[in-house]
Amino acid sequence: MPEEHSQTIMAVDELQAIIQRCQILEEADFKGEDFNLFQVAGQKCLEDGHAAQLLEVIQNEKNKLCNPKELFLGLLEQIEQTSGEQVCQTVMLLLQPLQTVLLKLQNKKAYSVGLSLAMIMNQLTPLPVPYTKQQIQEDKLGLCQCCNAVVDFAKPFVNEVVKNMEKSSEYNDVELKEELIKFCMKSLKYPLLTAQLEQLEGIEEHPFRHFATEIIDILWNIGELIPLVFVHHKSKSPHWENQEFADIERKNSADSLACLSYLIFVQHLGVECFPVVFSPSYLLLCNMTHIEMLLKRTEESVLSKGLDLFESCLLRMEDNSLLHHYLEFRDFINVPQDLVKIMTLCPMEHMGKKSLNILQLFIDKFDTEGKYTLFRCLLKTSNHAGVEGYIIKNIKDQIHLALTKEYDNIWFTGHHLISLLDLVLSLPEGAETDLLQNSDRIMASLNLLRYLVIKDCESDNQTGVWTTLGKIEQNFLKPLRVGLNMSKAHYEAEIKNKKENRKEAHSSDTVCSVTVSGEKMPPMTTGMQLQVLHSALFTFDLIESVLARVEELIEVKTKAVMDENS
Amino acid sequence: MTTDEATKSEGEVQAAALAERGEDITPSKDRGVLKVYVHYKGKLANGKKFDSSRDRNEPFIFSLGKGQVIKAWDIGVATMKKGEICYLLCKPEYAYGSAGSEDLFEDGGIIRRIKRKGEGYSNPNEGATVEIHLEGFCGGRRFDCKDVKFVVGEGEDHDIPIGIDKALEKMQRGEHCILYLSPRYGFGEAGKPKYGIQGNTELVYEVILKSFEKAKESWEMDTKEKLEQAAVVKEKGTMYFKEGKYLQAVIQYGKIVSWLEMEYGLSEKESKASESFLLAAFLNLAMRGEARLLMNEFELAKCDFQKVLEVNPQNKAAKSQISVCQKKTKEHNERDRRIYANMFTKFAERDA
Repeated sequence: MPEEHSQTIMAVDELQAIIQRCQILEEADFKGEDFNLFQVAGQKCLEDGHAAQLLEVIQNEKNKLCNPKELFLGLLEQIEQTSGEQVCQTVMLLLQPLQTVLLKLQNKKAYSVGLSLAMIMNQLTPLPVPYTKQQIQEDKLGLCQCCNAVVDFAKPFVNEVVKNMEKSSEYNDVELKEELIKFCMKSLKYPLLTAQLEQLEGIEEHPFRHFATEIIDILWNIGELIPLVFVHHKSKSPHWENQEFADIERKNSADSLACLSYLIFVQHLGVECFPVVFSPSYLLLCNMTHIEMLLKRTEESVLSKGLDLFESCLLRMEDNSLLHHYLEFRDFINVPQDLVKIMTLCPMEHMGKKSLNILQLFIDKFDTEGKYTLFRCLLKTSNHAGVEGYIIKNIKDQIHLALTKEYDNIWFTGHHLISLLDLVLSLPEGAETDLLQNSDRIMASLNLLRYLVIKDCESDNQTGVWTTLGKIEQNFLKPLRVGLNMSKAHYEAEIKNKKENRKEAHSSDTVCSVTVSGEKMPPMTTGMQLQVLHSALFTFDLIESVLARVEELIEVKTKAVMDENS
Repeated sequence: MTTDEATKSEGEVQAAALAERGEDITPSKDRGVLKVYVHYKGKLANGKKFDSSRDRNEPFIFSLGKGQVIKAWDIGVATMKKGEICYLLCKPEYAYGSAGSEDLFEDGGIIRRIKRKGEGYSNPNEGATVEIHLEGFCGGRRFDCKDVKFVVGEGEDHDIPIGIDKALEKMQRGEHCILYLSPRYGFGEAGKPKYGIQGNTELVYEVILKSFEKAKESWEMDTKEKLEQAAVVKEKGTMYFKEGKYLQAVIQYGKIVSWLEMEYGLSEKESKASESFLLAAFLNLAMRGEARLLMNEFELAKCDFQKVLEVNPQNKAAKSQISVCQKKTKEHNERDRRIYANMFTKFAERDA
């Protein structure tokens, strides 16, 4: 203990000695070496964990006579040189003196403030963002605390900008304002974009929500909140002549702007400042670019924000109120396809479920022509039997509405419907189609056809199904029957084979091995293989049953008409 | 909701202009876009202000007639002259619609605003056990915050007002909503001294319906709910059979259930028939895969097959399946019966 204590004294003494020497010198005589010594001594103090003492020294009245600019650079370099677990601690300790020094700088304050904020955020960015409730409460590296300390640090400069704005429009410290905007944009991207921002049980003051609120406050106070929300960052940026640089800036700001929209529209932070008169369709349009960007990400924290933002925009709208014209915007076509990708490829099941819910919401909001167009698009692009089956079910629901409630629905009756049915009631590869893989879609199509045949009398033929029956038989029913027969024969033969082989050799021969997520699955015994084959046969039986029923119904109805006519 | 253009007299009322009419200039057209600068104040019917451009010290700018703003504005502002001041009284269809909030019992007593939609086809009924997260606010102050499991209709025991019980019957699993309760559905005239709430106070609750289990009732549920319950019951059964041996069977069964769900466009007769038809198919599965967890469906299926025969006496499949049902049911051992004793009582009740 005494040894450490004396070491402290040594380091601090050394520092004080150097500072005293500096004070004696005139500013002009203050040389780089002296400054270096100051720096090294200071660094040693920090490294040895004597930050508190260092602080004392710096804040000492006498020491304030030191050139603020040099002191500023010194502090900045201290920050730059910390790393790992010390970063937050160091930054928090140095914020106060840094602020004092900055407030003293008259010229080029804006530049220095910007530099400080940028440096600090740079040092924080590599740190992992606490996500779970436990991580946030622990705040092991001190990031939550540090972020809020930084935003407090920035407050006097915000006040300065606000005061200048009120004074006159000429004396506008544009530079300082710009530096603050840069800081806010950076914060929106890190840590806010990846942070957990929902209210958490048991945490009264959520540090990241607090931080987010403060950032939004800053933007609001300097008058930049609403302009940022409506930045159409597809248009040319005025700052850069070189398009490449403009593209880079746009990409960097895309994350921040998306996060800003999320904060306002999903977490309702700063929503009191937001004009309420916008139409929900317009708000959806404005947010589509953000949604599209967020949905392409794979990190759960970012992806879920995209889904939440999309959902909140849709919930504001009335059903059937979104005009089909909106589908002319590329985002409106791309985003549902992104949802399909999430549904079918994302390993996180709750994300997939949520995507499906949101897709249905999206469908519900469109007017009839919009629904029609969207169905066509998704049938052609989703490449997934389950999704196709789901869309076909939606089509059936719309037809049902057209037949029972909406008597002037031209999109789900008549020739428009016939064209859609061509897509639905067909086998992609004719009789060669893999019936197992496409079973979801095939069953949905058969159910739709059965519904049409029962519900739409041939005399009415509102849906046009009777007109196009010949084509349906040729493109769908016939190849399906052929395919079924072939598949069943094939699988039955396989089963017979396996059973015979099994009798001969009681070994569990594996035909192939399957690896899932890096783990090799246990080999399938012949018993298991037989089970799979039986399940396949069962699926074929199922399809065949419905097919038989449909054919039966068609026959009955056609016969009835013939009898009538004879 | 109609999207037809309506004349002002139908949709909105324009009170007399408050100031003299301003200059009669057509708004300047800038490359085909009419850019309009307005100052405005928005108030609810009860006079409460909810939005104002004055608070932002900046005029609100938008492109007229482009659907950027609520309908009332696109129509109303277009008729104004520069410098004019007027009142626009807007019906919901021309403003924010009802997508924002719902009057649950059409008496203004409980207004629900959904923050996150739930899922599934059913709602808790009275007597259902619900697990919720709940936060109560009064005059902006939070007076209650808890996670609680209770029986719908008995919220009182947990200091939960009757409005919450009522609202729960309209909520879906996983739903997150905000409920605005009038005192009648809140703590009434007595208030709640325990929470420092006086009588005749309006309350705001934020509720998340995490999960629920419906109360036992006669099987009068519609097709959708019936199937959902079947799925819940099946899930319980699955827990008892952990081996992957029945995995294929379960996956197939899931598909069938979802196919069944697509049947509700058909007439009553047809849908019952198709249900039993598909159940028959999946009984085949039960035979082949010996998925004992599906046993609870046999009784259900048997009844439905009998109905199929009523509708379609020629249906050989149904006939044979009924005997299969009976045979299969007998084959299962007592151990399994005990596990599903609960469900069997229900079916027995139905058969009686």
